[in-house]
Amino acid sequence: MRKLIAKLALATAVLGSGLGAAAADTANIWVRADGSNFMPRIVDAYNKAHTNQIKLDIIPNAEIIPKYGAAAAGGTAPDALSLDLIYTPSFAAAGQLEDITDWAKSLPYFASLSPAHVKTGTYKDHIYGLPFSADASVLIWNKKLFKQAGLDPEKGPANWAEIAADAEKVNALGGNIKGFYFSGNCGGCNIFTFTPLIWASGGDILSEDGSKATLDSPQLRGAIDLYRSMVKKDLVPAGAQTDTGANFFAAFAAGNIGISPSGAFAIGALNTQYPNVDYGVTFLPGKDGGWSSFAGGDNFVVTKGTKKLAVVKEFLDFAYSLEGQTILAKYGSLPVRGDIAKDALRELDPRYQVAAEAMAKGKTPYSVVFNDLINSANGPWTQMINEVFFGDDVDGAIANAQETMQSIIDQAPQK
Amino acid sequence: MTTITASTTAPPRARKLVGAGRRQWIGLIYVAPAVALVMVFFVIPLGMTAWMSLHNWPLMGEHAFIGLDNYWAILRDTRFWNALKFTGYYTVVVTIAIFAVAFPLAIFIEKPRPLTNLYRTFFFMPAVVGFASASLLWSWLLNVDSGLFSPAAYDLGLIDKKFNLLATFQPAFWSIIAMVVWKVAGFTMIILMTGLQSIPQDLQEAAVIDGAGPFARFRAITLPLMRRTLALALILSVAGSILAFDQFYIILRGGPRNQTLTAVYWIFNQSFVSFKLGYGAALSMVLLVILVALSLIQLWLLRKPEGLD
Repeated sequence: MRKLIAKLALATAVLGSGLGAAAADTANIWVRADGSNFMPRIVDAYNKAHTNQIKLDIIPNAEIIPKYGAAAAGGTAPDALSLDLIYTPSFAAAGQLEDITDWAKSLPYFASLSPAHVKTGTYKDHIYGLPFSADASVLIWNKKLFKQAGLDPEKGPANWAEIAADAEKVNALGGNIKGFYFSGNCGGCNIFTFTPLIWASGGDILSEDGSKATLDSPQLRGAIDLYRSMVKKDLVPAGAQTDTGANFFAAFAAGNIGISPSGAFAIGALNTQYPNVDYGVTFLPGKDGGWSSFAGGDNFVVTKGTKKLAVVKEFLDFAYSLEGQTILAKYGSLPVRGDIAKDALRELDPRYQVAAEAMAKGKTPYSVVFNDLINSANGPWTQMINEVFFGDDVDGAIANAQETMQSIIDQAPQK
Repeated sequence: MTTITASTTAPPRARKLVGAGRRQWIGLIYVAPAVALVMVFFVIPLGMTAWMSLHNWPLMGEHAFIGLDNYWAILRDTRFWNALKFTGYYTVVVTIAIFAVAFPLAIFIEKPRPLTNLYRTFFFMPAVVGFASASLLWSWLLNVDSGLFSPAAYDLGLIDKKFNLLATFQPAFWSIIAMVVWKVAGFTMIILMTGLQSIPQDLQEAAVIDGAGPFARFRAITLPLMRRTLALALILSVAGSILAFDQFYIILRGGPRNQTLTAVYWIFNQSFVSFKLGYGAALSMVLLVILVALSLIQLWLLRKPEGLD
């Protein structure tokens, strides 16, 4: 009886709201947990303003890839998902994604979308992923500790020598206070915050197309020496050596660290959760100046063969609107549309502007085996950074990583 | 009428067979749920794993039959053999450590005396904590900056500089051994205690009357009569250690610098980090064969000697 009443009520509602409602469709999308702050708010705003609806599932970061693979194999994959942008090439190479080249290029603001995202979303000249959320890497410093150490609290370090000198002065305050922090056993954290130091100095760790490992550059060696010297001088807490990323942000947030490379996400997190920490944001500098940034965040990809393409496109179009980009910015991501980024950020902390500028010129290494090379806790990159920052055999570790990386790239199914 | 006559006059042997057949069917029905469970959760997945191991099976995209290629690749996979070597080393060390702690504890709590129940509960308690939870707890205790051991030693002035236990191989390895012994020894203790309690008291008393000292009694009575219990405890410990994963994943992530990668960790890595499911399945089959072989060897070594019992 209850079912019958429910059915009647539904039929009345559909008839009452006219034919438009009858044609309404629901698409299912997944997002990794990193997007759990902004994604539900964008989906809510979209659902309120549109007849078509989005059903959102939030999946833990570490599980989204295997879960999506299993769902795709079982024919229950969502219509679309927002995933760490670095996975886009390998997903596209697996033939799992819908080719959205024509639609993407027809967007009037296509040229303004984050170039690093579009690059990783492109596979063999076809577009399979478009930017959804963004995070740039920046350098943050504790103004209170700078002041106590006799440094100018309004001026962050602008080259490597200044990083080392400022960290040493802050460290001299003693007690629990340390000059510098980085997660020494986290591949993902260091590709995000360490490689920009190398890029800004003219070096790289992978060739442009991802087919060659280039760890034997003098710029990499120089950046390693900077970190090693700070470790040797005891400017870095002992826990950094084994930190797999759990303390990546928390160490600085505790207020005892002078300088730390971090991400734009830190601005929102510090403002809301640690309002007592007075901090500055600047670019990650090169050896003698200049700057660079990693372009992180998520790409939005569409599952091949979905029947809900129209809804998915409508949703993404909404997310790219000023309203969508403003929600995104307000709840923890940088805007991905360069042309309206300033407007989307207008109401927010001005320090976001530094991150937005970094994002516009951000860079993302391209590889179909990024996870194996970089993110894996047991991969060559993670192993190398831990050895070169804290171990004894720097040259051996670099040579070993270069060889292992190249062999993984060479054995990859498709390049 | 004829039929009834025929049935009532059927030879007793045939009737017996019908009865036995019926009983067999009833027996099969009784065990059917268990058989179904074993089929669904063991035999079928095992068959699927074996089938998968013969394929190039990526997480996404098409899979292709490649015969024994995955197995040939394992022969050249030095990381796997290194992981297996480390797993073997860990298994030997941790098993000795567990028995070294569990046996004295079992002897200590075997006989009822004041507070025995309290001791039993106290020693057994860590066994009820899941390995993942225990690993998380210990990873906090071992944390150099915010944990217990290193900061406490520093604050008490025992060390000049905080020492990161997880940064180099030896301290990291022994930290894991300590955690596993803390967690597992209580369980092994209970198994050994039941074995000790099953030894007839009059045998011990007779030996005392014959003048046998504690060591002689332990060697001549306790150990031989504990064979079955020891075999059970040993097989559980060895199988559990060869399949070790949680503590190495959660506390060390295979570090420092991949020196504590275990065999299962490498299988996990290949399957869910590199997304090579077929290769992961082949590695699992190899590990299964090793595990079965080791268990058989242990059973053979600890088989009941003739004439005892």
